[in-house]
Amino acid sequence: MANPGQDAKFFQRGKIEEFRAELHAAEAKDKKFVKRKMVLKKIVANITMGTDMSPLFPDVVQCLGTPLLEIKKMVYLFLVSYGRSKPDQIHLVIPNFLQDCNDRNPLIRALAIRTMSYIPIPVVTDALTDNLRHALKDRDPYVRKTAAICVAKLYAADPRRAEKEGFVEMLRDLMLDSNATVVANAVAALCEIGDRQDGVTFRLNLTIANKLLAAIPESSEWGQIYILDSLLRYVPERHADAELMAERIIVQLQHGNSAVILTTIKALLYLMNYMENRELIEYICKKMGPPLVTLLSSGPEVQYVALRNILLIIQRRPSVLKNDVRVFFCKYNDPIYVKLAKLEIMYRLARAENAREVLAEFQEYASEVDLDFVRKAVRSIGRLAIKVEAAADDCIQALLNLIETKVTYVVQEAVIVTKDIFRRYPGRYEGIIPTLCENLDALDEPEPKSAMVWIIGQFANIIDNADELLDDLCFTFLEESTEVQLALLTASVKLFVYKSQAEKAKELVHKVLKWATEEVDNPDLRDRGFMYWRMLAVNPTVAGEIVLAEKPAITTDSDRMDRGALDQLLLHTATLGSIYHKNPETFIRNAAGKALMDSPALNPQSRAVLVPLIRTQLPPTAINVPGPGPVELKAGDLSSPTQAPIPPSKSDPSAESNSSSDASISEPSTSQRTVSSLEDRNASAGNDPYSNLDGAFGTYMVDEPRPMTSSHQGRHGDDEDLLF
Amino acid sequence: MGLDGIIILDNMGRPIIQSGFRSSSTAYPLLHIDTVNKALQKAASPKEIDPVLYIAPYNTADDPKPSACCHVECGDIRMLCPISGDVDPLTAFAFMQTFIDILREYFGTLSVATLRDNFDVVYQLFEETLDAGGHPLTTSSNALRDIVLPPSLLNKLLNVTGANLTSTMNSGLGHASGPFSSPIPWRKAGIRHANNEIYFDICEELKAIVNKHGTTVTSIVRGKVEANSKLSGTPDCLLTFTNSKVLSDCAFHPCVRLQRWTRDRALSFVPPDGRFTLFDYRYSPSAIMANPNDAAISARDNVAIPLALKTNIDAEDNGASFDVTLSSRLSTHALENVEVELCLGQGAGGIKCALSRGLGGGGFINASGRSAEGTAGASWSYDSETTVLQWRIAIVPPSSSWSLRGSFTTSARVPRPAHAIVVRFEISSHTFSALKVDQLKVTQEQYKPYKGVRGRSSGVVEWRW
Repeated sequence: MANPGQDAKFFQRGKIEEFRAELHAAEAKDKKFVKRKMVLKKIVANITMGTDMSPLFPDVVQCLGTPLLEIKKMVYLFLVSYGRSKPDQIHLVIPNFLQDCNDRNPLIRALAIRTMSYIPIPVVTDALTDNLRHALKDRDPYVRKTAAICVAKLYAADPRRAEKEGFVEMLRDLMLDSNATVVANAVAALCEIGDRQDGVTFRLNLTIANKLLAAIPESSEWGQIYILDSLLRYVPERHADAELMAERIIVQLQHGNSAVILTTIKALLYLMNYMENRELIEYICKKMGPPLVTLLSSGPEVQYVALRNILLIIQRRPSVLKNDVRVFFCKYNDPIYVKLAKLEIMYRLARAENAREVLAEFQEYASEVDLDFVRKAVRSIGRLAIKVEAAADDCIQALLNLIETKVTYVVQEAVIVTKDIFRRYPGRYEGIIPTLCENLDALDEPEPKSAMVWIIGQFANIIDNADELLDDLCFTFLEESTEVQLALLTASVKLFVYKSQAEKAKELVHKVLKWATEEVDNPDLRDRGFMYWRMLAVNPTVAGEIVLAEKPAITTDSDRMDRGALDQLLLHTATLGSIYHKNPETFIRNAAGKALMDSPALNPQSRAVLVPLIRTQLPPTAINVPGPGPVELKAGDLSSPTQAPIPPSKSDPSAESNSSSDASISEPSTSQRTVSSLEDRNASAGNDPYSNLDGAFGTYMVDEPRPMTSSHQGRHGDDEDLLF
Repeated sequence: MGLDGIIILDNMGRPIIQSGFRSSSTAYPLLHIDTVNKALQKAASPKEIDPVLYIAPYNTADDPKPSACCHVECGDIRMLCPISGDVDPLTAFAFMQTFIDILREYFGTLSVATLRDNFDVVYQLFEETLDAGGHPLTTSSNALRDIVLPPSLLNKLLNVTGANLTSTMNSGLGHASGPFSSPIPWRKAGIRHANNEIYFDICEELKAIVNKHGTTVTSIVRGKVEANSKLSGTPDCLLTFTNSKVLSDCAFHPCVRLQRWTRDRALSFVPPDGRFTLFDYRYSPSAIMANPNDAAISARDNVAIPLALKTNIDAEDNGASFDVTLSSRLSTHALENVEVELCLGQGAGGIKCALSRGLGGGGFINASGRSAEGTAGASWSYDSETTVLQWRIAIVPPSSSWSLRGSFTTSARVPRPAHAIVVRFEISSHTFSALKVDQLKVTQEQYKPYKGVRGRSSGVVEWRW
């Protein structure tokens, strides 16, 4: 008997012939179809195990006439698995499909429509078209909601047909359906179509957007996500529109579903770009904090996604969690990926007011067991010193305490960050140099070693035994990595400039220059060697001025992402892009890019850094080099391989944005737009050959401190918006 | 677009069951299973691998797109949700959690065995909850039960006697109250119960970090109100609290009318049938004194930790000795199921421990029916794989103190025990917030339901030394 709950026995591999025989045997004397049900279960179990059951196609579809829902479901499951691969036999099922489409039971009607839409074979699509049109107007909401999604499937199989048959318009009408689930699914289907590179553009106007908002309270959580997500397709024309809408959706921040919360935040962040009322923006920022914190009480997986998103959000809207640094304190049994994400956020939230407690935490982490985490913690102490001047003294003391532990990897990290601290606060902490020098032997990796060499060279005038130390370090010059060799070369030149009278310094610089120019194969090192050599030979005084020129002080303010890139990334809040901190179209094939749309309501700062959307439609050049991490596809790889002819626009795009009574669904003149944007790019490239390079680094998170001066210029326009 | 599907693996990493991956080739799910298994092998501990794994495109000509795999572990199974395209990984995680909840509700427990036993039901659930385009569909169990019959006892009985419930569904009759005919998506129409009752459990969890000086660095109490509703018809409930000010950062079940809560902090809702989480919240002690709009978690928001820990660990060469004293700071309630964990670090062994009970401890009002006196109920154990020393005390009466003394040896010269001790505990009939229900009014129905409220607390405290 096929009792539910005892079906584990079906998980044994069976032979096709046996199943066929059993199915035939079941045709006779099958009371209540028990036998057939059992055979079908075995077949489905075998599909699960990965056995190819497709040879049974004609036999299984025979069962479709059985008037039992359970059997129908299993046959449809079989069809979904193998229908696509049997274009020559699929016609056998069409009559059954048609019959089921007109069944009295809405479940069966929906099942038939759904299954047909999964099988993108012309015969099936032909049969589907008429029935789908009826299903979209079915009296039962279950059928309508299923049909809405099926339109997206049909569109994927044959976009032009779906458009010609008017399905897109029917979906648009479904957005006004009385049932919230139907509305949500229509929105989901339109979004899916709109996200396709060859799809029609899906935009909302104010009237429709408001209608969708009204459907939110009755929708399921998934429906709410679709609707909230679709709000990014609405471009507010007036500040008041954006503000009113934000006030309406802000209540969704209290939803119990984490995905709803994050999607609401995404919509709010988007609308804020079009707002004017500072108080309201502040209020929204304040309201976004607690739900983000709430996400942190979920499982580690949700925490991870939340943390990555928080990291983005606080870079653009620093006031969001500015008082909540404590919730990001790490627990020692947090998974490592959660700890690292928290650490970065703590650093970003650190200010003079909370620097003390943040530093205490970093110190705590520096004594933990996990190597990677400890290193990042030590490094964060140094970055904190550079970021918050008031905390610098305490941070230096903390670093010195860590160096005293003599734990190798701690000392190495401490040395690396100390170098940056010297550059940030020249003349303040050179007193600790002797302590650093005592730990020279602990340094065995290139980065800390070259940092230490830099320190010795830079401060050779105040380190009495600098020549001895450098001489010792140069003992292994030829075995060192290039990084260290370069540092040694520069340091010995600096030493010579400081102490040009000392015999030892002269000897050393001569030795190093000789090695660099004669013994080493690396052209960078060799060239730098020659350069120094000539400089010293021609005019040692000028050489000294150049080598020891005053360095710009550094700051960490700039290790935020570029504002325009941030605005764009925040449109992807909660999506994969926000996890990798890259725009999805750069690593996901066929993902349509998103960009802020200009409108009279867009705030001036955002407009100034607007990153225009480029829809590439170039022929594909499929060169993919597999490797770890998201691969940034070249522009050419993004386009769909076959460019379908695009029907002419139904209406003028400018008229479209003015029409207010209907959702505007317009066919974009994609090819035209692409051409113009490419021309723009070429034109700008013509003026400045390096103009394109900005983008190449724009989306990178830069950990390294950067010169202060350049960042001040770059940040000037943002100040008003970004300061606390 | 959307979630590509769901794969369920057993504890050996073999697939048990998966939803149909229709928009991709058959290699696609296998690639994801492989990647997860490889990551699991590489990682020191299964909980250390990234929850969102990037999966490089497999270079076949037809479908070379990169994707990512979200995965969660749950009991002896692991659930995978491959996503490609610009999808919200939180949707994947939220969906998997919902699906796990559904499976639990359908089968009672979730394990490899129950999944295998009910694979046809799981398949049907896949079909109804996740569209092949990756759109989550019906996940409200009230609606699902109409479409996919749970393998209940009744169903089994009917099967044995030859009657078949599904055949009546198939007849197409009686669909006046069919699926989705209810105007409320989370509650089906025409529910009848012989006894109308509704229960609320207020569960609060304290999470805190205490530094080595005994000062609370951070503490947060999150609570949730779990309801079990067995009410007939379409009851409209109004739940009010006497001290709703202690509630902040609330997140509600979709059934709660958010506008009403914003207006007068009352919960107005038509409940789903059965168990559900009505809302969760953060307990904010400061709200009582200060402006409740100030959402910032500040120092005065600290919640008193109901216990104190004194730790003395003396590191020696190749070993260390330790002395941990735990005392209760409560005066009326007992701490129950207390677990103290100390990770001793790699290469620890040769554990020696002595347990003792100090002074103090009197009557208490909860945990009745369990022996209160004597050192019985305290024990320790050591897991050499995770190097965690665990100390368990069944009941810690009010103001009593307990201690654990001992030593261990290490293979390395310098012992490196974790700098934090984790204490877990429970307190029954107690809430940190002292949240109190004022009244529950049920309108739209004639009957007077039976109502009940219970409180329960638990805590995880990380005590650094």
